[in-house]
Amino acid sequence: MGQELPLQEGFLTTRVDAVVNWARSNSLMPMPMGLACCAIEMMAFAAPKYDVARFGSEAMRFSPRQADLMIVAGWVSYKMAHTIRRVWDQMADPKWCISMGACASSGGMHRCYGVVQGCDNFLPVDVYIPGCPPRPEAVIHALMDIQEKIRNQYSIEQDGIYGRDMPVVAANRPTIVTPDGEHAISPAGLYTQR
Amino acid sequence: MPEKLTNGIKAPKTLPFEFVPQEAETAVLNNPHAKATTLVDDVLDAMEASFGTAVLERVVYAGERTVRISTDSLLEICTWLKETQGFTYLADLAGIDRFTEEDRYEVFYNLVNMTKGKRLRVVIRIDEESMTAPTLCDIFPAANWNEREAWDMFGLRFEGHPDLRRMFMPEDFEYHPLRKEFPLLGVPGSMALPPQVPTGELTQDPFPAAHGSKTPWSFEEVESEDDV
Repeated sequence: MGQELPLQEGFLTTRVDAVVNWARSNSLMPMPMGLACCAIEMMAFAAPKYDVARFGSEAMRFSPRQADLMIVAGWVSYKMAHTIRRVWDQMADPKWCISMGACASSGGMHRCYGVVQGCDNFLPVDVYIPGCPPRPEAVIHALMDIQEKIRNQYSIEQDGIYGRDMPVVAANRPTIVTPDGEHAISPAGLYTQR
Repeated sequence: MPEKLTNGIKAPKTLPFEFVPQEAETAVLNNPHAKATTLVDDVLDAMEASFGTAVLERVVYAGERTVRISTDSLLEICTWLKETQGFTYLADLAGIDRFTEEDRYEVFYNLVNMTKGKRLRVVIRIDEESMTAPTLCDIFPAANWNEREAWDMFGLRFEGHPDLRRMFMPEDFEYHPLRKEFPLLGVPGSMALPPQVPTGELTQDPFPAAHGSKTPWSFEEVESEDDV
């Protein structure tokens, strides 16, 4: 913490993880995988009224190499699934995935032969958004959930460990001591790794 | 009667509108909004005069004229409709599975006369044993993709079609999904899902997540020889 008054000389102590995760979570670049009407709400989410630039995610990147958050917006056909997986594989780690809307999450009303019944059948999804289509606020909420997950779960140690057993990262949350024991204050336990 | 408003502007006359399917004829004639686009009885009369027994059935439903003709005379009648009656635009064409013992499949052709503003639906029936219909591509080039769709969805072969490939389903798909006996959720294993890891095999199970095979997180993917 600052040892002097603000705007004067001083220093700040923190951990590298905290700084890196702060930077990562506030500069997510979405890869808009717009497949149906949800994509219209996703455009509204990026447009000035809902203004996702407040969260640092206004820079939609249509090149998977530059993106780190895929928003699957709309129903996924079996033919399109292969393209989506290919685009996902081209995105560089670390990367996150939002399944936006009923169709992407479960097939939705498209209970038929041509539509994949949920994009989590071939993608590791971090956050599901309900709705048909979801409001832009819901997409912002999902983005904030992803930010919360990044702040609590990811560490730079993890980046160096590729394809091997990963240490379980403890939640970087303040704790409170009660007669029962020590508890995290926020629901960080929701974001423990599988 | 138009009312006189205080500012001197006449309120618009309210036009009567009533539509009852049984009274389709009179409703269309009395309704000032309707443009009588489907009143093509003169065309159908001329068709019956020219082709006689090839015209099998005339149906009027909700004011729309549908004429069922024999499959053999489809090309002849469509040529006649295009060249002498001015039905130059094929708006739509698709198959129907009636799921009956005889004449199971149906193909409808929605034709439009652009100059007179008339619409006519022509229907042919195809038996399950033949499964072939003549192609309309030579008369209406627009029929090309629609006939490919009908082939894809119902397995109807259009004889003389220049390029009868599947329209929507993958090329190696073995079934025709809009047939009534095709299961709603498809045949498991007929279409593969992408692999769950970059270098993995295709997923043949259509519901791997429901069967406990969760896609691993990207950082859990095992290093392969391709990644260096």
